[in-house]
Amino acid sequence: MKKVFAWLLCLCALPALALDGLEILKKVDRNLEPESSESLRKLINVEPNGQKKEFVLYTVRKGRDQVVGLFLAPESDKGRATLRQGDNMWLYIPEVGKPMRITSMQSVTGGVFNNADILRIDYTAEYNVEALAEDRDQHLLTLKAKTGEVAYDKLKMWVDRKALLPVTIECYAASGMLIKTLHFKDVKDFGGGIRRPATIETDSPLYKGYKSVMIYGQIKKREFQDEVFTLNYLPRVGDLRK
Amino acid sequence: MKRIFALCACLIAGMAQAEEFSFDSSAFEKKPFEFGGYLELKADRAWLNPSGSFYKLNGLDRGTLDRNTATLKLNAKFTQGIASLNLRGAAEARRDDLARERNERFDEAYVSLKPDPSFTLDIGKIALKWGKGYAWNPVGFVERPKDPNDVELAREGFTMVTADFIRNFDGDLKTVAFTPVLIPVGSGHNSDFGQPNHINAAAKLYLFYKDTDIDFTWLGSGSRTARFGVDFSRNLTSNFEIHGEWARIRDFEQRSIDAAGNVSATTRDVTSALVGLRYLTENDTTWIAEFFRNGTGYTESQLADFLSLADSTNPALFSKARQISPSYARANAGRDYLYLRASQKEPFDIVYFTPSLTLIANLADKSWSLTPELLYTGITNLDLRLRASWLHGDAYSEFGEKQNKRRLELLARFYF
Repeated sequence: MKKVFAWLLCLCALPALALDGLEILKKVDRNLEPESSESLRKLINVEPNGQKKEFVLYTVRKGRDQVVGLFLAPESDKGRATLRQGDNMWLYIPEVGKPMRITSMQSVTGGVFNNADILRIDYTAEYNVEALAEDRDQHLLTLKAKTGEVAYDKLKMWVDRKALLPVTIECYAASGMLIKTLHFKDVKDFGGGIRRPATIETDSPLYKGYKSVMIYGQIKKREFQDEVFTLNYLPRVGDLRK
Repeated sequence: MKRIFALCACLIAGMAQAEEFSFDSSAFEKKPFEFGGYLELKADRAWLNPSGSFYKLNGLDRGTLDRNTATLKLNAKFTQGIASLNLRGAAEARRDDLARERNERFDEAYVSLKPDPSFTLDIGKIALKWGKGYAWNPVGFVERPKDPNDVELAREGFTMVTADFIRNFDGDLKTVAFTPVLIPVGSGHNSDFGQPNHINAAAKLYLFYKDTDIDFTWLGSGSRTARFGVDFSRNLTSNFEIHGEWARIRDFEQRSIDAAGNVSATTRDVTSALVGLRYLTENDTTWIAEFFRNGTGYTESQLADFLSLADSTNPALFSKARQISPSYARANAGRDYLYLRASQKEPFDIVYFTPSLTLIANLADKSWSLTPELLYTGITNLDLRLRASWLHGDAYSEFGEKQNKRRLELLARFYF
């Protein structure tokens, strides 16, 4: 009788112990980036003939949906800055001298990554968890965009069960067409308790033979004032660098 | 031997693979002194319009005009604590079949103090850009006019003192930013801003309200007459943006000449307005459309009167037209304009290649210019641009009377 009671207790406790889809996604968000952080990334676009074009981006983020990026290289793009506030995105070009609105599906760098990939905000800010399944040693999350403004209508995200970090993400349009696949690689300890994939590779059936790669060189926690994430501050983002 | 060769090949391949996607972020540490810029070489040929009024006013007597231009732009920034010195200089050398020209200037040269992200103070020569319009900015009260044919062209600033106060909130109103400006005008500085011996006050109030950018702009009476305006920009969907500007100019004085050669000046309050949209299609075509009502412009009949005088065989009338011509020669001197631009990202799977087509039309006299352009940015730090333009219009229409009929331009820009 005692054994049966113990089993019943365990069964009741299991749902509480197991993470639900939203909790997994929240942990994925925090494991990928702290709530307030700065990072240095390199973006590489690889053409079918092997030719490469590289960009270096300093990025600052705060909260679930505020991101600012500043191009440090190449020289032709140096000083360009991008701002994202939820669904709103702007690009500042020093020669033009004022920010203009851009869209999530465009790409400030060309290649397979679009603006939504480069200025990514928390997955929980843009997606609801539609389903959670188990696939070998990984969770498989099916995510549905909260609004029509989100770049991808649906995501299939394979998450490492132990590390709670994404391994592969497939991005789909509302029509069901696969737009691109993101591969997360090279889990690295960046210090300050941040351990995440340093490399994200993407390919797309829409860009056959092309590949884009994002490499994190630095990422660290840092607090920022909200005023940093405004149009007026955008031309001065470089002053945040220490 | 074969084994050693195979091993070496594997090692080299392995190293190449390992190096392929490496990133040494230490190479991008912030330095107190930053320097950059570009060298631009441009060659262009203009096919002239011998029947055009401006061809005659400019005293031309040839069929084509070839021009070569070299431009060097240098940017430098020196940062020390909360202060930075910002310099943006330009040197240009131009040679054509008629003349050689050289000029050097600072587009910007100012000191910036930033004790906090919510406050900035700038003193010096600064190029402020106000407004949301792509081709025109009627609310741009403290800047030199934009060239709608080359909207990304860097412009020279004015000497000023300006500050920026930014405050963020939770709720529908997310950001409020206030930008006061003081522009002194004397005989030695800012002389082209307007009447000398004034310290001109201007201001911009920016609101980010319910995902909409809104600016209220104002310039007090002084070197220029008083004016105020408002602009906005917002996304209706993620790929569809709308924007607009509205400006009211008090006591605007317009000098004009009638068909008999009588010059007159009228003073009245005028209103300029612009509405526009930007739309990205599923095929990556970006459409930009703007309608501009230029309250400071000339009506169709006023323009036609001037252009017919410039075409006159009467030397006295022609001379009068030449005297007043700077007012009529500015870009888009008419009343109602349409700007339409379509650009296609990477067609035929050619990455970094962007062809575009731009139309600027004077809606009153139905004259227009059409500019196809090919831009290639696939080589790191090199932009290549081929651009042509056709101008068309009836006699005494704006684009029908320009100096050029057609133009072809090749530009290479090397960044360093």
